[in-house]
Amino acid sequence: MTASRLDPAALCRAVSSPKHGAVASFVGTVRAVHAGRRVKAVSYDCFTPLAEKELARIAAAAEKRWPVRVAVAHRTGRLAVGAASVAIAAGSGHRAEAFAACRFVIEEIKRRVPVWKKEHYLKGDGRWLAGCALHRTRP
Amino acid sequence: MKRKIELYGRLRDAGLGSSVSVELPKAATARQTLSVLKSAFGAKAPLLAGCVLASDDEVLSSSDALPPGRLALLPPVCGG
Repeated sequence: MTASRLDPAALCRAVSSPKHGAVASFVGTVRAVHAGRRVKAVSYDCFTPLAEKELARIAAAAEKRWPVRVAVAHRTGRLAVGAASVAIAAGSGHRAEAFAACRFVIEEIKRRVPVWKKEHYLKGDGRWLAGCALHRTRP
Repeated sequence: MKRKIELYGRLRDAGLGSSVSVELPKAATARQTLSVLKSAFGAKAPLLAGCVLASDDEVLSSSDALPPGRLALLPPVCGG
């Protein structure tokens, strides 16, 4: 979790290896329109200690499931339209597992990382977006 | 004993600030704590729908006793 601008290229470099034939990346960005309302910015709130542990656990789960190396970073604070809010990179021997790992990581982030976003609109009050209720994940 | 519960996401708009302190029985469970929080939130209690308690290491199930250290009340998440 970081308040600094994300650097997807740095994440790609971090998971690159001469043994790899593929690096896949996913970058989530702030959209200008949501549910018919014009958005000017999104604020990201998070419970940092648990969020960072969950990101590490998700990356480790991906690396256990596929022969990949994963790097992930998520923004906090207020972001303007177009800014990167989350970046994921997966390096692997072949493209299939790199794409699969990226997809897995973003879906798990949305399901279990304690992050919340409040949209700020060109007109009217901001709104916290609905999300997924958390559940204990340990056995 | 008094415990401080940190508030996140939509709970920050409850008018209670970034945390709330509540008096709890010794070895209180997460379920008991949520019940006490419901009273503390008063008219804002509907904001607690779908919320869970968590330590800085994991989400607590309703029967878990509160661990020492930081405690947070977490609404449904929407990262990414």
